[in-house]
Amino acid sequence: MRRTAAVWAGKATGVLSRFSRLGGGTTLPGDVARAIDPDVLRKLSRDLKHGAIVITGTNGKTTTARLVTWLLEGAGHSVVSNRAGANLIFGATAAALERAGANGRLHADWGVFEIDEASLERAVEEIQPRAAMVLNLFRDQLDRYGELEAIAKRIEAALARLPDDSHAVMNADDPRVAEIGLNLKRKPLWFGLDDPAVALHELPHAADARTCPRCGASLIFDGVYVGHDGLYRCPNGDFARPAPDLAATHIELNGFDSVALGVSGVRIELPLGGLYNAYNALAAFAAGNALGFEPAYIAERFRTVQAAFGRQERLEAKGRKLNVVLSKNPAGFNETLRTAVDLAGGHWFLIGLNDRRADGTDVSWIWDVDFERLRGRSRVVVPAGNRAADLAVRLKYAGVEAQPPESDPARAIDALIEATPEGETAHMLCTYTAMLDLRAELVRRGWAKPYWET
Amino acid sequence: MARHQKTFTVGWLYPDLMNIYGDRGNILTLLKRAEWRDFEARLIELGRGTTKRMDEVDVFFFGGGQDREQALVYEDLLEHKQPPLERAVAAGAGVLAVCGGYQLLGHYYQTGEGERFPGIGLIDVRTEAGTRRFIGDVVVDSALVDIRPTTLVGFENHSGRTYLGPKAKALGRVRVGFGNNGDDHTEGCLQGGVLGTYLHGSLLPKNPHLADHLIRSSLRRRGITDLAALDDTAELAAHEKILARSAR
Ligand SMILES: [Zn+2]
Repeated sequence: MRRTAAVWAGKATGVLSRFSRLGGGTTLPGDVARAIDPDVLRKLSRDLKHGAIVITGTNGKTTTARLVTWLLEGAGHSVVSNRAGANLIFGATAAALERAGANGRLHADWGVFEIDEASLERAVEEIQPRAAMVLNLFRDQLDRYGELEAIAKRIEAALARLPDDSHAVMNADDPRVAEIGLNLKRKPLWFGLDDPAVALHELPHAADARTCPRCGASLIFDGVYVGHDGLYRCPNGDFARPAPDLAATHIELNGFDSVALGVSGVRIELPLGGLYNAYNALAAFAAGNALGFEPAYIAERFRTVQAAFGRQERLEAKGRKLNVVLSKNPAGFNETLRTAVDLAGGHWFLIGLNDRRADGTDVSWIWDVDFERLRGRSRVVVPAGNRAADLAVRLKYAGVEAQPPESDPARAIDALIEATPEGETAHMLCTYTAMLDLRAELVRRGWAKPYWET
Repeated sequence: MARHQKTFTVGWLYPDLMNIYGDRGNILTLLKRAEWRDFEARLIELGRGTTKRMDEVDVFFFGGGQDREQALVYEDLLEHKQPPLERAVAAGAGVLAVCGGYQLLGHYYQTGEGERFPGIGLIDVRTEAGTRRFIGDVVVDSALVDIRPTTLVGFENHSGRTYLGPKAKALGRVRVGFGNNGDDHTEGCLQGGVLGTYLHGSLLPKNPHLADHLIRSSLRRRGITDLAALDDTAELAAHEKILARSAR
């Protein structure tokens, strides 16, 4: 009875908040239902016919969840997932609620939930997933999440509680993730990149996991792919990147258009750009592998996947192409910049920085982003968001010519459209709520669909 | 290079380990503002094990790190860096120490359990662990007489409570935020050429007047007392933004 009441209360809130456009009804119903029945997610998860997959990590959760969901749906399964980037446990609850029937039962085969690093332990406990994926661990919103060390410990505690027959799918290239995996009793399913041709030779400025967890020596990186993810070893020989069970080779990067890689004897290609999406694809491939899907099926299915909301979302505006790319921390921003400037040859940019709770209230991290990459390459940069003034200073010290800071979303979009020639592509790299604000304005002008239709 | 008559050198203590809160902003600001005045600006990275060319440094920067990294630099600081750092400061070099770096330059850090980790005692401050973390915007009315505007703005995120001894003067009084300890309204410290503070954000990009104070003070020993004025419109707009919203 309690569960049915909780489900109904949550569903009603979801409908109401979507009508009133109060943030789109992504977690509020979860809050309400959990207040009525704290066990509601545990009970709903038991209804899933085949079980659930949880995905955690600093970057790539949403896209990886989308890929895994795409695989499952292609095989005829019904999937419940927290799609709108609401990755707290309330978001997972809200997603399950939305699909629950009038009797308070959930009718779905699988659950695919992206879970905040900090909520993982509770999620594993309540959801009892068939697989848990750990994508990477980068510094992100230290004011909100705290230091990496503490986060890593919580993830380790969560994975130690996975059911015996579940899989831990983990990124071997990330020293912090590897440290967690090597401490576990179960053997993780390791994935990693194996292609020196796309590796950088030194760590970016904002690399975090630089030291050996065993002896404290500075790790030696023989190649760096994304952030501090790469091919690393301790000079004292007590810690090194685990050999991947699934390794991506012969990686091809084609701007924001596509990324291709070889794994397990098949060639995977997906219509999303950037080396970071090679990781997301490989992670999803590994999960598919653990669930028993054929490599050939996965390769075929990935060809037609679409970008998640605000992740390389392509729009048209007054004859210009807009590319909206969520960029929320130094590791992520460096990758989207690298993709936009080096791989896609972009010239027109809007950078959006907000300091609301979901973005992080401390904007110091913009000094760890290599905006220097834009110097001499960008033709126009519009600093936007409620901290546009800070961005303007950052760009000045990076030696990048920029327009005056513009905190008003409508005027920032006008400035970008005006500066971008017709037929050309403008890249909008934004933190989470800056992206929501700008997107709301794009929706208002009819240039983008509301997020619940994406 | 020959046309540069003047050099300005920044020494970054542990750039790979003590860099957690966008500290690179402080380094870039010091270097660029010297460069824009036609100095040859140089950066010396002072990682673990090296003391190379510490005597050439005009301003040292010592930032904050995550706990694991902070523990790793601690031994190196005592073993390698302390004597040359003391010599440089006695000779008139400046030091900007933020958060963890600020704590490590003091007498000690005392944990909640009463265990004490000695610092290098370069400044007369001591730090005790607090239970609640101080996180948020900070506005300080500065005690420095040579800076305009007289305010400093930044962001704090620390659980340590730092108390000043008689030899250390406060960098300023807190108008918004917690500062050194949340009790006595002080923020940061000034002692000789050392400036310690909890402010990041990054600190110097939004406080160009403080950056210039550090550059000017460190160059005095080489007979340079004046710096050419720069256009700080962008920097002061970001500064104003924090003042304005903190006043709300
Ligand atoms: Zn080692």
